[in-house]
Amino acid sequence: MIKDFEHFAPKTLKEALALLDKYQDDCKVICGGQSLLILMRQGLVAPPYMIDIKGISELSYIKDEKDGLKIGATTTHRAIEKSPVIKKKYPVLAKMETRLASIQTRNWGTIGGNVCHGDPAGDPLPVLIALGATLTMAGSKGKRSMPAEDFCLDYFETALEPVELLTEIALPIVPPNSGTAYTKFNVIESDLATVGVAVSVTLGAGDSCQDIRIVLGASAPTPMRPKKAEAVLKGKKITDALLAQAGETAATEADPISDIYASEEYRRELIKVLVPRLTREAMANAKKA
Amino acid sequence: MKKELKIKVNGQPYDLFVKPNTLLSEVLRDDLGLTGTKRGCNSSSCGACTVMLNGMSVKSCSVLAIQANGSELVTVEGLAKGNKLSPLQNAFLDHGSYQCGFCTPGMLMSSKALLTENPKPTKEEMKEGIDGNICRCTGYNSIIRAITAVVKGEYKEAK
Amino acid sequence: MTTKFSVLGQRVHNIDGTEKVTGSAKYTFDVVLPNMLYGKILRSPHPHAKILKIDTRQAKKLIGVKAVVTGKDTLGHKQGIWRRFPELCDEEILCREKVRYIGDAVAAVAAIDEDTAEEALDLIDVEYDLLPAVFDPMEAIKEDAPQVHDGVELNINITRHIEWGDVDEAFKKCDHIREDQFKCSSQAHVCMETHDAVASFGHNGKLTVWTSTQSSYYIQRLLADMTDIRESDIRVINRHTGGGFGSKFELDSAQFCAAILSQKLCQPVKIVLSREEEFTATKRRTPMYYALKLGAKKDGTLLAKEARVITEGGAYTSMGATALYLTGFFSSFPYKYPNYRYDGYRVYTNTAPTSAMRGFGAPQSTFVGESQLDMMAEDLGIDPIEIRRKNGMTPNYEVPGQAFIQSCGLHQCLDKIDEHIKERGKLPPNHGIGVASYGFMSGGIFNWFNTPYAFSAAVVRINVDGKVDVYTGACDIGQGSNTTLAMICAEELGIKLEDVRVFSGDTGICPPDLGAWGSRQTLMSGNAVKRAAEDCKNQIMEFAAAKMGVNIVYDLDIKDSWIHIVARPERGVSYYDIVKEAIRGKDGVAIMGRGHYTPHRKGMISPAYSFGVQAVEVAVDIETGRYKLVYVTTAHESGTVINPVGIEGQLEGAIMMAGGYGYCEDQPMDDGKILNPSIADYKLIRSLDMPETKILEIDTYEPEGPFGAKEAGEGLTNPTAGAIGNAIYKAVGVRINDLPITPEKVFKALREKEKKKAK
Ligand SMILES: Cc1cc2nc3c(=O)[nH]c(=O)nc-3n(C[C@H](O)[C@H](O)[C@H](O)COP(=O)(O)OP(=O)(O)OC[C@H]3O[C@@H](n4cnc5c(N)ncnc54)[C@H](O)[C@@H]3O)c2cc1C
Ligand code: FES
Ligand code: FES
Repeated sequence: MIKDFEHFAPKTLKEALALLDKYQDDCKVICGGQSLLILMRQGLVAPPYMIDIKGISELSYIKDEKDGLKIGATTTHRAIEKSPVIKKKYPVLAKMETRLASIQTRNWGTIGGNVCHGDPAGDPLPVLIALGATLTMAGSKGKRSMPAEDFCLDYFETALEPVELLTEIALPIVPPNSGTAYTKFNVIESDLATVGVAVSVTLGAGDSCQDIRIVLGASAPTPMRPKKAEAVLKGKKITDALLAQAGETAATEADPISDIYASEEYRRELIKVLVPRLTREAMANAKKA
Repeated sequence: MKKELKIKVNGQPYDLFVKPNTLLSEVLRDDLGLTGTKRGCNSSSCGACTVMLNGMSVKSCSVLAIQANGSELVTVEGLAKGNKLSPLQNAFLDHGSYQCGFCTPGMLMSSKALLTENPKPTKEEMKEGIDGNICRCTGYNSIIRAITAVVKGEYKEAK
Repeated sequence: MTTKFSVLGQRVHNIDGTEKVTGSAKYTFDVVLPNMLYGKILRSPHPHAKILKIDTRQAKKLIGVKAVVTGKDTLGHKQGIWRRFPELCDEEILCREKVRYIGDAVAAVAAIDEDTAEEALDLIDVEYDLLPAVFDPMEAIKEDAPQVHDGVELNINITRHIEWGDVDEAFKKCDHIREDQFKCSSQAHVCMETHDAVASFGHNGKLTVWTSTQSSYYIQRLLADMTDIRESDIRVINRHTGGGFGSKFELDSAQFCAAILSQKLCQPVKIVLSREEEFTATKRRTPMYYALKLGAKKDGTLLAKEARVITEGGAYTSMGATALYLTGFFSSFPYKYPNYRYDGYRVYTNTAPTSAMRGFGAPQSTFVGESQLDMMAEDLGIDPIEIRRKNGMTPNYEVPGQAFIQSCGLHQCLDKIDEHIKERGKLPPNHGIGVASYGFMSGGIFNWFNTPYAFSAAVVRINVDGKVDVYTGACDIGQGSNTTLAMICAEELGIKLEDVRVFSGDTGICPPDLGAWGSRQTLMSGNAVKRAAEDCKNQIMEFAAAKMGVNIVYDLDIKDSWIHIVARPERGVSYYDIVKEAIRGKDGVAIMGRGHYTPHRKGMISPAYSFGVQAVEVAVDIETGRYKLVYVTTAHESGTVINPVGIEGQLEGAIMMAGGYGYCEDQPMDDGKILNPSIADYKLIRSLDMPETKILEIDTYEPEGPFGAKEAGEGLTNPTAGAIGNAIYKAVGVRINDLPITPEKVFKALREKEKKKAK
C-alpha cells in the first residue's frame, strides 16, 4: 500500500528546485518511479510530498557537443539504448542498457533515477565511471559537478543533498585507441548483476596499456575502482599473467557481501575471471576503434 | 487530495479524479473496468500489467496514474477492431501461445509494442521483447512462434 | 494413428481462447459484486509461538473496517485433504492457540477497500509467547527437538514403506553397488494469478465462492467441513484460473477467511493474496533428503534398489502424505527392479507447509534416480541409453503389488532420443547432452479424501439446434481440459468442435469431479464425458434407426454431423435434423446423457502411465560455472494425442518450470523465513533464458484411456533436473547432488576437481 501524499508536477527545473527548498526533508523526488514505488509500497519511503520531475522536458535530452556527450537526468534508459549517437560513440552504454531490467522498465525509468537510487548493483554507474563521466547537480543556490565515481557514498546513499537534483551526465570524448566493455554476471539473463565489471582502456605504442579504468559493480557498498589492479596493468604491455594478477588484485580490493544470490568468495572468484576477460574485450574494442 | 487525470484509453477520452498514490493499473481496472490488464506481482517484475503508453510498453503497476496525465493508452481490450481480432491475437490463438491466460494480456501488449517499434525483429529481439513478462505456463516459445508468424505477414491487419 | 479421428489430433484453438486473447476472460481476481468488501489476512511473523492474546479493538474502530475475525470466531475444526485420517487433518487455517510457521494466519479483516483492510492489520495487537522452533527435518527428528504438533513423536508426521522382492539377498548378488545421497530443494508454484476468493454468504444461509482453484468440489467439501454449512448450500465457482500447478486444490486462507468474514457480515468479501503471501503463506514443493542404494550386475542389469527419504514437511500435512508415497513409488520408475525397498518419513518443521507441485514427488525421485543411474552406467562402462534400454519398463508389466502398466512406449522414446543425440553430432567444447527417462500416472486411485461420489462425472445435453453443452466438475486451470473434453465429446458424437460448449468447475451446476491434479482429467474426466456423450449418441441412434428404417443387421454411426450406415456411408441423415425430431419425439425434452468414471482395481495406483525420455544440452562457462540450457528434446508418449497444441504447450511450459527447478529456483530460508518472497528475488526462467525445444512424437494406445489417451502434463516436469545434472557431468565432468544446480555449485565442483587433479 502506498501512503497518501501530495503530488507536485513542476514543469521547469526552477520550479522543481523551489519546491525542494520549500519541503526539504518532507519531500521526495520521483522520476520514473521504477525503483522508488517499490520502496514506497513496502512503506520504506513515505513522504508527505512528492516532487515529480518526470515531466520536466528541459532535463530530457541527449546532446552531442564539442566536449563530449550530455545526457539529461530524466532521459529514459530506452532513449539511451536507441540513440544513434550513443550507439556510435559510446556503444558500451547502449549495449549495457539492453540488459537493464526489461523494456517496460527502460521505457519509463530514467538514467538519473538509476544513478540517484545508488544501488551498488546498478548497471549504468560502472559504465559511466569507466567512461569518465561527470555528474551535475543543481540546487536553488546553484550548480556543482563531480566525477561519477565520487557520487555514491554507501549502500543506496549518494552525495546528493535533499534539496538538489541531478540534472546532467556528461561524458568526455573518448580518446583515440580506447575501448570500453561491460558485462554483468547473473543467473537469469536480464537480472540485476551478481557482479558487474566495466573496463576502459587506452592503448599506447605497441599495444601497451596507456590508461585503464576498471570498475566493479555489486562488489562493494558502492561501485568501486580497484586502483591497485589498475596499477598492475597501467603503462605495461598486457600479458595473460598480468591480467591474471590484475584479476587477483581486484578481487582482494573488492568488498563483496554474501547473500542469497552468491557467496562473498564466489563474487571474488567472478571478479578474478571477469576483470581479465573484460580487459581483453576492451582492448579488442580499442583496436577496432 | 484527488487530482484531475485526463487520459485517452483505447481511443476513448476520460476525465477522472484520482488520488496521487493511485497506480495506473488501478485506474484501468477499478475506475474504467478494463480488467484485461492483470496484476501478477505489483512490483514491476512480471509484466502481467503491461499496457502501451504513447506507443511504448510500460508496467502499469509501476506508473503513478497521475504521471499518465495527457497520455494515450492502449490496453488488451483495445487490440481488436470491433469484431475483428488483431494479427497478434489470431496468431496467439493459432499457436497456442497461452494456457491459463493470465499473462496473456501483458504478453500481447509487449508483443504489440515490440512490433510497433520494430516491425521486423530478429528472434533475439523477440525474446528481448517479452523478457519482462513471466509466463509460468507456456515456456515462451509458442509466443515467439506467434510473433514470428505475424512478422512473416501471415496475418493481415483488420480494416 | 490419429487419422481415423475427425476431431482428435487436430490443431484447434482452445475453446476459451478468444476470451483469453481479448482480456475478457473473467478470473476470480476480476470478480466484483455489489456491496463487496475487501479482506486482508494478518500472519505470524514467528516460526513457532503460543498466541496469548489478540486485541482487535483498535482495528475495529478504524473507519471503513466492517469485521475482524480470529481463530476464536471459527468452529475450531482442523482441515486436511486426507479426510479419511483425522490425525492428518491438522490445519486450523486461522490459528487459535499456536502458530507453526512464518505466515500462519492469525486474524482477518474485511473493510471497504484493500488499503483500509491493510491499515487495520497494523492495528491488531497479537501477544505471542515465542517457542523454540525447528527448521530442518534432520534436526526435527532428534529426541530433544521442539514439538511442532503435540504428541507427534520425533515430529514424524507420516511414514511410508514400499517393498517387494528380497532386497538384502539381491544386493549380495550384485557385482557393483552404489550408495549416494542427494538433496532436493523447495520450489514455489508461482501461478500468475495468486490465490484469491470472493465469498458471498446471504441471509438465506447459502454461500457462494468464486475462487481460483484446481478442484471446486474439494473446496466445497472442505469449506463445509470447516463451517458446518451443508455441502450443497455451498456453491464454488471456478471459471478461469490463472495457473495451479498443484497449489490450488486444498482449502486456502483466502477462501476460508473470505467465507467466514462473509458469513459474519452477509456481504461479499474478496481476498486476493499478495505476491509475498503467495511465496510465504501458500504451499510449496517438498524438499527431500534422499539416500539411494543401487545394485547391478556387470552387464548393467539392475537387481536391487533401496531408497530412504526424509522430507521437510513444514507445519502441516496438506498433500505431503501423497507426495511421500509417490516419490517412493516413482523411485522405482521407469525400470523393472526385481527387488525394491522404500522408506519415507515426512517430518514436521516450523516452515511453510510442503505439498503437491506438478510432478508430485516424482521430479525429486527422477532427479536422484536418473543422476545415480548415469553414475552406475559410468562405473560399469555402459552407455547411459543402453542401461536404460536394458532395464526399462515394457507394456503389460506389473510393478509387484503396486501397479499394472498396460501401454508403455519407453523403448520407442529411448530409440528416438538415441537417434536425436547422434544427429546432434559432435558438440562444441564444454557442451554436453544428458538424458533422463521418466514416467507418470494418469490420475490416482486413492480415496483418502473419502468422497462418496464417482471420481469423475459428466452430463451432456443436446439442444434442439444440435448444439451440445457439456457439464463437468473438471477445472480448466490453463492446461486446456475444457478443450480436451470438448474434443472428446465432439469425437464421440461425430460432430464439429464448434458445436460443443463446456460448463466446468461450478459445483452449482456441474456433477462432482475431483478436479485437476495428479494428471487425472484427460483420462478420468475424459472417460466420464465420453460415456455421457455415448449415452446421448445411443438415444439419437434409436431415433435415427427408426427414421431411416434400416435393416437391423446394419449399424449406424455419426461422422461429420452425418448419421449414416457404417457399411454405406452415403446413406444417412443429417445429425441436426434427427436431433430436432428426436427432441420432438421425446415430448420436448432435450437429449441428456450421463457418464461417470471411477477406476476400480485398474492398474492399482493409477489406471495408466505415460513415459518419456528427455535430452538436455547445456553449455558451460568453465571459468565461472555459469551454464546455459541450449536445447531440450523430449520423446513423450501419452497414448492417443487428443490436442497436439495442448501437448506442445504442456511440454514447453514444463521445461520452463522443471528447468528452473534444476537450474535456479529455490527458497532459501533463515530461521524459517523465506528470503526471496518476490518475483524479483525468486529466479524464474524468462524468454531470454529459455532453450530451444523439440518434441519427438511416439505412437502408443492406452486401452484404459478415452480413445487411447493418457496423461501429458505433470510427467513432463520429471526429467529435466536429472537431465541437466547428467548434461553438466557430460560437459565438464562434475556431478552436483543437490538442487538447484546453480552456477556457483558448478564452479565450486570444478575447482574441487582441479585441486584433486593437481594432487
Ligand atoms: C524489475 C526491475 C528490474 C531492474 N533491473 C535493473 C538492472 O538490471 N540494472 C539496473 O541498473 N537497474 C535495474 N532496475 C532499477 C531501475 O531500472 C532504475 O533504478 C530506474 O530506472 C530508476 O529510474 P526512475 O526514473 O524510475 O527513478 P525513480 O524510481 O523515480 O527514483 C529513484 C531514486 O532516485 C531519486 N531521483 C530520481 N531522479 C532524480 C534526480 N534527477 N535527481 C535527484 N534524485 C532523483 C528518487 O528520489 C529515488 O530516490 C530494475 C528495476 C526494476 C523494477
Ligand atoms: S503486476 Fe506489474 S509487473 Fe507484475
Ligand atoms: S498462460 Fe499462464 S502464465 Fe502465461
